[in-house]
Amino acid sequence: MNPSIKSKLGGLVTVAALTASLAACSSNPTQATTCTPPQGPNLESALSKARFDLETGCEHEFDAYFQRLLTIAEGDPKQENKASFSDFLLWTNDAGLLSKRQAREIYNRYFGVKYVSLISDYSVCQQTCPDQSAVMRDMNRELGDKEQGLLRISADRLNYTRASNLYQETELVLEATCEACGPVE
Amino acid sequence: MPILRLRKTGHEAIEANHEINDCKEDFPMKTATTRDWKVTQRFLRQLLTGCLLLPVAAHAGSTAPTIKLFPTTVLEEIKHTGNVAAEMETGLQAVIGRLDEQQKLYMESKCEGNEGDPGCERMARQLGKSYLEMLNVMADKLPEMETAVNATSSSLEKRIRMELGQKKTSWTLQELLIGEESGTSATASQPSLRGRSGMRLSDRFSQYYKLVARSGGKTNSSLAVIASDIYLDMQETSSLIARTREEISRATLMEQLNQSFGTITPEMQEVVAGVKAILFGEEQDVIPMAIPPAGPADSGYESALQM
Repeated sequence: MNPSIKSKLGGLVTVAALTASLAACSSNPTQATTCTPPQGPNLESALSKARFDLETGCEHEFDAYFQRLLTIAEGDPKQENKASFSDFLLWTNDAGLLSKRQAREIYNRYFGVKYVSLISDYSVCQQTCPDQSAVMRDMNRELGDKEQGLLRISADRLNYTRASNLYQETELVLEATCEACGPVE
Repeated sequence: MPILRLRKTGHEAIEANHEINDCKEDFPMKTATTRDWKVTQRFLRQLLTGCLLLPVAAHAGSTAPTIKLFPTTVLEEIKHTGNVAAEMETGLQAVIGRLDEQQKLYMESKCEGNEGDPGCERMARQLGKSYLEMLNVMADKLPEMETAVNATSSSLEKRIRMELGQKKTSWTLQELLIGEESGTSATASQPSLRGRSGMRLSDRFSQYYKLVARSGGKTNSSLAVIASDIYLDMQETSSLIARTREEISRATLMEQLNQSFGTITPEMQEVVAGVKAILFGEEQDVIPMAIPPAGPADSGYESALQM
């Protein structure tokens, strides 16, 4: 190949690489690189900042952001907070951060009465009883999350009481059912 | 406020026995008697007041149950167990009444701490005889009681295994409990009161019977909880009866020996008081209970993510 053409081609490759590199840089704003969960007492502002950050490179920090949002919401407990979190989680699904199932499970873990820890495909005897104590531990942790979501964030004492009663009834009925199912083979 | 459900466990009995046995070396005869009485008392207390829970529910739902936890056979067994319990109570009532009188007399005569006195010794022996009689009544009635309780327990076990264990996943089970399967609201589906009632065993079975016999007016969620409650209590009662039966022959022998020595323990007054409370259904321990708050079933907001 002609050396001058070779030299020109080399130059073009270099320019292309530089252009691509600059383009990549411009799609990562400076805020996203820091990935600092929102501060301050205002939930709506915090949700807005979280949306921006999470869709501009901070999606790996989703858990930290979500926990911070919960903490901020605790500062102003009200029924409307439930809807704010629902909208936020629906957005995470639209934005491709979470699957619909993940979004639904997170929402219900904190704001639903039913326990996502009890999601199962097989019978109680087959699937739940062999792991009864682990299931109850998970439910207990989830009850703590419901306390935060329903009671401390949404001021929804009635549904928290329902969740708490459901926990105790499930514990009783599972104890009896697993006793009746007999030992795991 | 959550519903509280407290249950005595076997550990309690084991611990109590250890405590008593720790003293045994110092006062062998005395503690043997105390232990016997305590075991008996404990049995009676649990049998009649402690271990069975009474769900008192007065709701009248409109949905017919779709889970078959209480077929006629189970109902009949519950009824039969109640009858056997009533017979046992009748048999025990007279002798326990006498024990109470003797205890009272023993106390009024200031025999406590004065066991060497011939009159007190005589009273102690009479008290011991009544105690032996009580053990005999129990020994006579317990096998039938055990059979009845075991039959009820076994029938319920089969129903629970089939209806809740095999036909449900843990998710559908919680839906049943929360009242969604039958289309009822959660607040209406829960028994309004649950806990120890302090009533006699026969009355309790009668209540159980009435409760489940009118199951057309009950929701499935309540029935699942009631069935679980009854089944677990039957299991506990059954094991308690078995342990008590083992104890009776030993206790009888020890009391016969006590009759020879004429010993009586100050704890007997406690026992008679306990037995009296049991027989007449007086409350031993008041366990706090809670009911769900009244009010609308839902807070109004329903997310698109709601499960």
